[in-house]
Amino acid sequence: MTDLPEPGKPTHITAETRQAEKDRQRRLKFYSASQWTLIWWRFRRHRAAMVAAVILATMALAGIFAEFVAPYGTTTRNTGYIEGPPQVPQFCDDNGCSIRPFVHGNKTERDPITLRAISVPDPDIRHYVSLFVPGETVKVLGIFETDRHLIGLADPELKIHFWGTDDLGRDVFSRTIYATRTSLSIGVLGVMISFVLALIIGGVAGYAGGFLDNAIQRVTEVVRVIPIIPLYMGLAAAMPKEWSTTQVYFAMTLILGLFGWPTLARRIRSQLLSIRNEDYVVAARLAGARPGRIIGQHMLPSFTSFIIVDLVISFPYMILSETALSFVGLGLRPPSVSWGVLLQQAQSVRAIEQTPWLFIPAGFVVLAVLAFTVIGDGLRDAADPYSEAK
Amino acid sequence: MSRLLSVENLTISFRTDEGTITPVQDVTFAVDKGRTLGLVGESGSGKSVSTKALMRLLPRTASLGADTKMHYTAKDGQVMRIETLSDRSREIRALRGGEMGMIFQEPMASFSPVYTIGNQIIEAIRLHRPMSKREARAFAIDMLDKVGISNAGARIDQYAHELSGGMRQRAMIAVALSAGPALLIADEPTTALDVTIQAQVLDLMRDLQRELGMGMIFITHDLGVIAQVADDVAVMYLGSIVERGPARDVIRAPKHPYTQGLLAALPSLDTLSKRLTPIPGEIPSPNARPSGCPFHTRCAQKIAGLCDRKIPREVVPEPGRAVRCWLYDENGRAVA
Amino acid sequence: MLRFTVERLIGMVVTMALVSLMVFIIMEIPPGDYADRYAFRKYSGTGISVTAADVQAIRVDLGLDRPMLIRYFDWIGGIVLRGDFGQAFAFETSVNKVIGDKVWLTSGILFATLILTYLISIPIGIYAAVRRGSAVDYGLTVFSYLGLALPNFLLALVMLYFANRWFGSDIGGLFSAPYRDAPWSLPRVWDMLKHLWLPAVVLAWSAVAYQIQTVRATMSDELNKLSVTAARARGVPEGRLLLKYPARLAINPIVSTIGFDVNRIFSELPIVAVVLGLTELGQLLLRAYLDLDMNVAGAILLILTFAIVFMNFLSDILLAWLDPRIKLGA
Ligand SMILES: Nc1ncnc2c1ncn2[C@@H]1O[C@H](COP(=O)(O)OP(=O)(O)O)[C@@H](O)[C@H]1O
Ligand code: SF4
Ligand SMILES: [Mg+2]
Repeated sequence: MTDLPEPGKPTHITAETRQAEKDRQRRLKFYSASQWTLIWWRFRRHRAAMVAAVILATMALAGIFAEFVAPYGTTTRNTGYIEGPPQVPQFCDDNGCSIRPFVHGNKTERDPITLRAISVPDPDIRHYVSLFVPGETVKVLGIFETDRHLIGLADPELKIHFWGTDDLGRDVFSRTIYATRTSLSIGVLGVMISFVLALIIGGVAGYAGGFLDNAIQRVTEVVRVIPIIPLYMGLAAAMPKEWSTTQVYFAMTLILGLFGWPTLARRIRSQLLSIRNEDYVVAARLAGARPGRIIGQHMLPSFTSFIIVDLVISFPYMILSETALSFVGLGLRPPSVSWGVLLQQAQSVRAIEQTPWLFIPAGFVVLAVLAFTVIGDGLRDAADPYSEAK
Repeated sequence: MSRLLSVENLTISFRTDEGTITPVQDVTFAVDKGRTLGLVGESGSGKSVSTKALMRLLPRTASLGADTKMHYTAKDGQVMRIETLSDRSREIRALRGGEMGMIFQEPMASFSPVYTIGNQIIEAIRLHRPMSKREARAFAIDMLDKVGISNAGARIDQYAHELSGGMRQRAMIAVALSAGPALLIADEPTTALDVTIQAQVLDLMRDLQRELGMGMIFITHDLGVIAQVADDVAVMYLGSIVERGPARDVIRAPKHPYTQGLLAALPSLDTLSKRLTPIPGEIPSPNARPSGCPFHTRCAQKIAGLCDRKIPREVVPEPGRAVRCWLYDENGRAVA
Repeated sequence: MLRFTVERLIGMVVTMALVSLMVFIIMEIPPGDYADRYAFRKYSGTGISVTAADVQAIRVDLGLDRPMLIRYFDWIGGIVLRGDFGQAFAFETSVNKVIGDKVWLTSGILFATLILTYLISIPIGIYAAVRRGSAVDYGLTVFSYLGLALPNFLLALVMLYFANRWFGSDIGGLFSAPYRDAPWSLPRVWDMLKHLWLPAVVLAWSAVAYQIQTVRATMSDELNKLSVTAARARGVPEGRLLLKYPARLAINPIVSTIGFDVNRIFSELPIVAVVLGLTELGQLLLRAYLDLDMNVAGAILLILTFAIVFMNFLSDILLAWLDPRIKLGA
């Protein structure tokens, strides 16, 4: 018997070898892919996480370019349309259809019961919706001056309120877009502060070990057990009433960040402790590398993916805290707009009944928190395919 | 000698995310009363899932082939058709523990960490023997004593993590035997133990088996162990039994190239001076089962054009032995 | 077990000492001490002009001029030795009087919430793990995500809205009108219980969402353990098997996170209290903070945190009792 290919079936064999070669190439690509490429491949397969990432990216972009995306400013009032319901662009009405979407104009009538002046849609007037319409002059990104806005009514004299207006006639859609920027940025800043603190505190504890570690563990425990909202209430009282909204914004971010680090610090510490005596770390130490360098260059990279997961899932904590505090009036104050500040106007059962559109910012809170959670889960699965998401 | 268990055409498939895989195909073997069948093969060859199927312990994602027959003669003489029993039936509960006992590779993980070993032995006893709590406890202490655990009266109230590895495995043997099974399935019971302890536990199991007259299926990946404990042997490769027969004969004169390879890889006194020759290549994964003879990707004697195309049938080269290899013809004579 | 308990006890006391120090420092942060505000409150509108000397006199009078460390020991000593939290300046009475039975109300809400959380999440989490991949399991996962994402104050509002529609308007608050200021009596307790379920449900919501996932994950892990297969292999009937082996271990993470749950409940309580009109609690917290009455604020923060530390201690002990491996490792 021989191992020579059987005569008469050459095509079969070349096809087989070609397939084998293709497999080999694929495997080669797979084995040589970096850790991050692998994580990205696995993450991409996580459909829910990809959807969540797109949602978050959209929110972030809308927030960054709020001046351009929002048709009006946060304080622009439309006194002719107070507590007005959302206006949904339509293509057809009783008078026929059009290619361009439009909304009906309003006329003022008296409420038959309360005799209050109310505005009701007038089906005979059409206002057309368009893109890149002229409006208030704004500075996008603080640099580019423009009077164009992403969407609005073609006639700059008239206003459209996709998500209705509040009790002062301010556009809920525009305000929500601006609020998105505030709330997300508090999350980002807060998480960054927490992260830096966690890195330093957890890093020192995990690298030094021994007495220092013990002492730090004690402090961590204390910070961890103090309930954040009551604590924040105490510190909020310490904030001078005359502080500007910007000062309050930074103070709040700082406080949330200052107390958000224990979980991550513990993670960093325990990971560091577990690899402290690995050969490559010892080798670096013996070679005389400085501790900061050893931690940064040799130790952290081995669990960066876990840190990223922890960072992502700590966003909801920041966002929910900000929202809750602002909601009860302890956090940001008007004229700042954040999701929590906007929801202040929806504090009563009456609001649910009469102006439910004021709750739209709540949808953003839920969506953002969900998105961060789902992305965190997706990243965790991608970074560590063998762990069961908890 | 009377038949205790006969398994025919056992085929097991799993539904997985990547599709259905069939890690066990057409496996046939038998165990007689009071005798030990050694089941040997590299890890992943399907030994564990095959024996789990006998006790219907496979997860819900598993399904048995249509031709699968597993006939077991119970202590009362009745023949149970295991493949037909429902997972929650009274028969299967009586079979589990009462008729067949099972010991696993990891004694630590076999015990729940939050109950004492006594608790778990007494549970087994009371499920299968009409005893009061107190009687069961006394019986359990006897049992621990019997498996060689000193100071059994105190050890019974300890947790698994408080015992040494060897003691734990002895305790697990006590759990399995206390319900009085007629067939003991030992799934690599000594693999996780230190070498000296391995020998002790092996001795213990052999003695207990003789004393109690049990049948036994002893799973291992080590042919050397087979020589010590088994009367018969079945060699598994990638979900098929490639060779079976009396343990002594198979080890002395292996027929199948895979068995020959396993033996060549085995350190022994007369091979100490020579280099061990491991079987080349890696065991293919069960979701990429080779066509034809499953061993052809690693076989030095493969017949190109035949071995990789057609699955060899089981033939009888000598009375009492069987082999699945194209090197032997219908009558079991070597072809080449 | 005794040694373990003592060790944990010492750990608890150390943590409490550090916590008290931290709370005291927080109380010290607000600019301008209470003497300024006291003077302002006392003399504003009376036409009397207040001099720095007057304020200083008040300061000395209240003992606020002493060094910080002394005031700390004075404060914590009073609390530990006499259960005396000092004067509530803004309320012009003792802190104990101001807080008083609010401690019991808070405990009531806390335990109602905890019990509700565990009663719901443990069985459901176990069920979801056993029926893994089923429609029910899938639905529960979606619910859990939503439960975690929905801010509690919104939930409170929505619940209040429906409670109002279904049970009448007298659902907010902790008592109905006739009992609000009545002395304690059986009917008053009953009245409170009738109001307690709403805050308990709101506060339990996110904890339930979280703990269902925890129980489900642990239970799934435990279901695949060899010890479960081993028990099945000795013929343990399926129902008993699930309860005795995996379910028994699936509650361990719940026990170990009791302190965490208490922390979250205390964090959410002030917010939910404001929405649900639990004037007894929320308003007290808010007023203390807004009036800069750091004695009341500090006392509340201290009591809440001590409660959390104590619950952590309890959970450690309970866990060690539930899981014999822990004592060995300690
Ligand atoms: N629950 C399962 N789901 C899918 N495949 C399984 C499962 N359990 C075992 N297998 C497959 O069965 C093969 C044989 O496993 P096993 O019987 O444990 O091998 P052995 O005991 O011989 O080492 C494994 O390679 C694995 O692919
Ligand atoms: S059938 Fe062919 S490939 Fe398989 S073992 Fe026999 S000779 Fe080797
Ligand atoms: Mg196995």
